[in-house]
Amino acid sequence: MGKPMLNPEPARVPSSRRTEGGLAARIWKHRKEYLAISPFYILFAVFGLFPIAFSMYLSFQKWDGIGRMSYNGLNNYRFMLTDPEFWRAVGNTLLIWIYSTIPMLFLALVVAFLLHSSFVRMRTLYRVGYFLPNVTSLVAVAIVFGTIFSNNYGLLNYTLNLLGLNSIEWLNRTWGIQLAISVMVIWRWAGYNAIIYLAGLQSIPTVLYEAAKIDGASGVQAFFRITVPNLRPIILFTLITSTIGGMQVFTEPQVLVGNDGGAGGGGLTIVLYLYREAFVHNYFGYGAAVGWGMFILIALFSIVNWLFVQGRPSHDQGVK
Amino acid sequence: MVKFRRIGLPLLSLALVAAGCGGPAPAENTKTLTLWYWNRSLDDGLIQSVEQKFPGIKINAQKIGGDFKSKLKTTLAAGTDGPDIVAFNDWVSELFVSSDRFYDLYELGAKEIEPDFLDWKWNFGVTAEGTMIALPIDTGPTALFYRADLFAEAGLPSEPADVQRELGTWESYLQAGRQLQDHFGGKVKLLDNVKNIYTQFNAQSDRIYFSTDGEFIGDKPESSVKKAWDLAVQAARMKLAGNADAFTSEWNAAMNNGSIASFVGAVWMKEILEQGAPDTAGKWRVARAPGGDGNNGGSFLAIMKSSRYPKEAFDVIRYLQSPDNQIRTYKNINLFPSAAKALDDPILQEKEPFFGDQATGQIFAESARGVKPAYFGDKFTNVNGIALRELNSVALQGKDPDKAWRDALSRIRKELLR
Repeated sequence: MGKPMLNPEPARVPSSRRTEGGLAARIWKHRKEYLAISPFYILFAVFGLFPIAFSMYLSFQKWDGIGRMSYNGLNNYRFMLTDPEFWRAVGNTLLIWIYSTIPMLFLALVVAFLLHSSFVRMRTLYRVGYFLPNVTSLVAVAIVFGTIFSNNYGLLNYTLNLLGLNSIEWLNRTWGIQLAISVMVIWRWAGYNAIIYLAGLQSIPTVLYEAAKIDGASGVQAFFRITVPNLRPIILFTLITSTIGGMQVFTEPQVLVGNDGGAGGGGLTIVLYLYREAFVHNYFGYGAAVGWGMFILIALFSIVNWLFVQGRPSHDQGVK
Repeated sequence: MVKFRRIGLPLLSLALVAAGCGGPAPAENTKTLTLWYWNRSLDDGLIQSVEQKFPGIKINAQKIGGDFKSKLKTTLAAGTDGPDIVAFNDWVSELFVSSDRFYDLYELGAKEIEPDFLDWKWNFGVTAEGTMIALPIDTGPTALFYRADLFAEAGLPSEPADVQRELGTWESYLQAGRQLQDHFGGKVKLLDNVKNIYTQFNAQSDRIYFSTDGEFIGDKPESSVKKAWDLAVQAARMKLAGNADAFTSEWNAAMNNGSIASFVGAVWMKEILEQGAPDTAGKWRVARAPGGDGNNGGSFLAIMKSSRYPKEAFDVIRYLQSPDNQIRTYKNINLFPSAAKALDDPILQEKEPFFGDQATGQIFAESARGVKPAYFGDKFTNVNGIALRELNSVALQGKDPDKAWRDALSRIRKELLR
């Protein structure tokens, strides 16, 4: 340590700069700023990161929620893959997702297109109106839809009877339950997606439409050749969020038909199955495994959606 | 600024002093017992009377809303800071695997009061090893609720005694249903749903899914399960059910407009029926159920091992469930007694206008005395759920009953290996 003392100044400056360049030191230097943004990270670590890591650990354990955990190897995953009810839940979830997402996004696009067009008056009122279902309580919605689809004394059957048709026991049929859930999802989320599409529409330059008009394109042609291609990234966004949401449908079937998913298990979605196995039947380790199974499914589906929407853009992009 | 500080500091210290005094300053000998229960599982007035009855004991009664069982299990998993006394519902047997988390009430002197209680109900709280983790609160003896006017119109017996005599077996009950439905041309159904037939048949049995040593007997001839299944399938084939599940608005509507003529239910269905079907007041009667007496539900009180005052806690729950206080609870919030002596009280002879001035308390008291002791086991909920789901597929989707039974059994076997 003796020699460098001869020329201390140049040696110290770079070395101190080096420690300043170290990650910990840089964080320490900006500790106030980091402190200011820390609430999110702390909350995320406690309520996000820890549960995620713990559920991974839990999915290899056998635990009834009270007693001791015991290591269960891959048994939870094995049981999941061989349980017909799990696969029924996956099937139900996909069906409900298809029944709800495709009509919903199409409806949202049409609503957004209409809201964007010049002939609609009182636009703000309509925007609020379409968005309102999204902020209503899900449980209340499920109860109201329950009375609409009710087997014998529902509003829908009352209407059918008025028209001289026979009643249908909606909630005693697998497809009826799935239809009711899908309608509920559409009602609640179409307006939300319409508002997002509207924002996208507003970013499309009007010159494109004017040029199309001069070239003699009809309104429908303009919709499919200008609006849809330009909205592609936004459609992808709504498709992925709807996929994530659709794979996690829970409250609607739970309130509508109960923990078993109703007649024939028609409303048994993956999350409802997870909930029943973990919180009703007390297989918490198994519930965690189902959660990870669901994670893989959602990831797969998001990738498929992404490929589907992003897959063939090169030709249409010429419109821009 | 200086002025403010001068005032501020004394103010602050005053506030701190006040906060220190503000809390519930426990007197030297006060012992606080925390009690967890849910709305209407105990009589609130009775709980309040505990502090007068036991000087030096403070009751901190907390009504736990929402999913009571999940909250209790979360607390048990956490291991600390639980209540001293906790109420259980009929899922008491699910907690047998954690019986070491509760005081053995036999060690606290429960043997003394055992003769006061109905033995079948008492035994629900005793594990196979003979430790008693829960003291009975109420019972749910079952009986047949029926519309006397509709029965009479269809030419069936309508007086409770006659109904009991002539429709005393499940077979005769279902046959009467055929006569009733023929008379009304299909506008009135005999019963609400076939799952209830299955449930009630098993509730009348002393051997259901498990033997007392935990072995699955659901596929053995001594078990009631297959007979209950066959009976429910028969009722489905005869189209005797209105396909309305209890606790739904659908069920209420069907009862209120008279499209369902009867159902077997526990005593606590009285209140649900009165609230759900007000237009039918005076037309209902209650008779002993076809097939015999049974029980649905009923709750318990337990003392957690984490409690510092188990002796005091036991004195309190013993007081809460004394025969006299059970009568008081029955009077105030309609919980049916589990103490045998309370069943003789004149209050059970009172006439009820909703049931055409019949004293239904008598019927339920007789039923309560006739219930057979049964063992449920800690997997009852799961196993029963599997059977009910398959039965529902038979009743509503027309699944082949034999295939459904085989599917149920294989799923149950898989369940038991988990």
